[in-house]
Amino acid sequence: MLLKFSVIFDFKLMISIKALSFSWPKQKEAILKINELDIKKGESIFLQGPSGCGKSTLLSLLAGINQPSSGSIEILNTNLSDLSAGKRDKFRADHIGYIFQMFNLLPYLSVIENVVLACEFSKKRKMKALQKSKTLTDEAKRLLDHLEIPEHLFDQNILNLSIGQQQRVASARALIGSPELLIADEPTSALDQASREAFIKLLFKECKTAGTTLLFVSHDETLKPLFERYLCLKTINEASI
Amino acid sequence: MNMFTLAQKSLLNRKSTVLLTLLTIAVSVMLLLGVERIRTQAKASFANTISGTDLIVGARTGSTNLLLYSVFRIGHATHNVNWQTYENIKKHRAVKWAIPLSLGDSHKGFPVLGTSTDYFKHYQFGKKQHLSFSQGHAFEKPFDIVLGAAIAKKLDYKLNDEIVVSHGAGNTSFHHHDEHPFTVVGILKPTGTPLDKTLHLPLSAIETIHNSGHHDHKHLNSDLIGEPKQITAFLLGLKSRIQVLTLQRSINTDTKLTNNEALLAIIPGLTLRQLWEMLSMVEQVLLVISGFVVVSGLLGMLTSLLTSLNQRRRELAILRSLGARPWQIGMLLVSESVLLTATGCILGIGLLYAVQLITSAQLQEISGLQLSLTWLTQHEMLLIAGVLISGFLVGLIPAWRAYKYSLSDGMSIRV
Repeated sequence: MLLKFSVIFDFKLMISIKALSFSWPKQKEAILKINELDIKKGESIFLQGPSGCGKSTLLSLLAGINQPSSGSIEILNTNLSDLSAGKRDKFRADHIGYIFQMFNLLPYLSVIENVVLACEFSKKRKMKALQKSKTLTDEAKRLLDHLEIPEHLFDQNILNLSIGQQQRVASARALIGSPELLIADEPTSALDQASREAFIKLLFKECKTAGTTLLFVSHDETLKPLFERYLCLKTINEASI
Repeated sequence: MNMFTLAQKSLLNRKSTVLLTLLTIAVSVMLLLGVERIRTQAKASFANTISGTDLIVGARTGSTNLLLYSVFRIGHATHNVNWQTYENIKKHRAVKWAIPLSLGDSHKGFPVLGTSTDYFKHYQFGKKQHLSFSQGHAFEKPFDIVLGAAIAKKLDYKLNDEIVVSHGAGNTSFHHHDEHPFTVVGILKPTGTPLDKTLHLPLSAIETIHNSGHHDHKHLNSDLIGEPKQITAFLLGLKSRIQVLTLQRSINTDTKLTNNEALLAIIPGLTLRQLWEMLSMVEQVLLVISGFVVVSGLLGMLTSLLTSLNQRRRELAILRSLGARPWQIGMLLVSESVLLTATGCILGIGLLYAVQLITSAQLQEISGLQLSLTWLTQHEMLLIAGVLISGFLVGLIPAWRAYKYSLSDGMSIRV
């Protein structure tokens, strides 16, 4: 069985988009149309696009929140459209780490609790995390340490952290349990130039060690040279918007 | 960390609103249980005012009226019963014992009862409990007096104190019988009935204070009954309960037995129940009102949860991004309302006991109602369960809203 599938599936592919189009219900015009897009495992991609070019739509499709009107999105050779809504949620929990623009953390949890929370919704990531450290807390501490969060902040309320620190904690949460794909949606837009680069370098380092594919979304072109591959959404989106 | 602990931490993060919500629920639960407690215990103590007495007999009037003035010391008798008639009925073969009651006088606003020593022997209250003395003994001489527990406490009377009793039932009776001081020889144990507020005198003493104009001390040392012409009412205990209805009918209709006097005999338990049914409307209304207080408490919770929900859409989006399913997010909200309601109930029960502890003394003094500090009854547990279920149901509303938000917002943050 496995052999047979290996002929069909390309195990090197992280994301494979084919003939994708998406329009909101009751709207005729597609706001997103991508004929073909492949992203390989372990790549670090800089996806650039001004606001309003279908960026958040693409991300919601990749995360399995919304479904394409036609075409397919495969992540790790799994066609998301084949999964039920519940399975898609589980798939996201198991395989995708997500970082928002800002305010990623739950205000009523401590730094450590915020990081560990990602394992609450995924047994797979919990097990992977426990393979690396004895307890989830230990693994959270290890990641936080790698992301240069000083130890005295671990049990603090997240409101005591700077925005840069908060984004690094969010990265630790997105990375715990080594998900295969990390989507970062404008994670540096609230940071100053110096901390932007530092943040991205830390993120690279962690993604490399975990073998995680990084899809980094930003409108800021100055970051472009840092990445292996550059994608301009405006170019690949064939929808006329 | 499951949704429940998450809910707990989320609530702790919103202390001030949560505390207010808790307080509203706690107070409403306390009110509900308090009203329920007063209701059931008032009913019980009401039914326990008199027991062991088969018939109460007085001049013909309404049966409630007779019960009210003979047992509860409320209102007045319009007519009296001739002593001769009392003697007549007492001699009936079915009668085991008879207690004459002479009411109408007062001392500092408290009712004075003239009776015989049989009163202390046969009168029963509660669950067939006899009267007992906390100090002293029953009256033995014409100027002895026995006090109810509440009076002795309220007026600070002790054994051997001398008391003056006035004619008439008012507090401000101008016509005092200063020439007849009585000596306290006994204080009764508390009964939780109007008896606690009653002063008990020998029947002969009542006669004496009414004839204060001409002193006639011929039976001062031995006779406790004297030669009364009339009494207010009397209690009958029968040899067999089977005869109750027959004797009741005889007293109500047989003119030979009653010397042509128009009398009324009532069965106390029956009339008590009729009287309570008249009052039960008020009782039901009270319960309904406290039910609405609980509803408004839960609506308060609903308001605060719904208001906070809009500010928490980011939180919901974060949870969604971590793979939380929409129903799990709904669960989070339901958990919050269940936690709030449960904590509110526990607080409310605590408040109830605290308030009961603090106010029970005053409550008994004012209303004669003794609320015992019992553990929750089954009925009260059911009420609490009802509150919890309502809390859960109310929680479904914000949960549904959150569920909808998390479906429509997905992971995009709309704040």
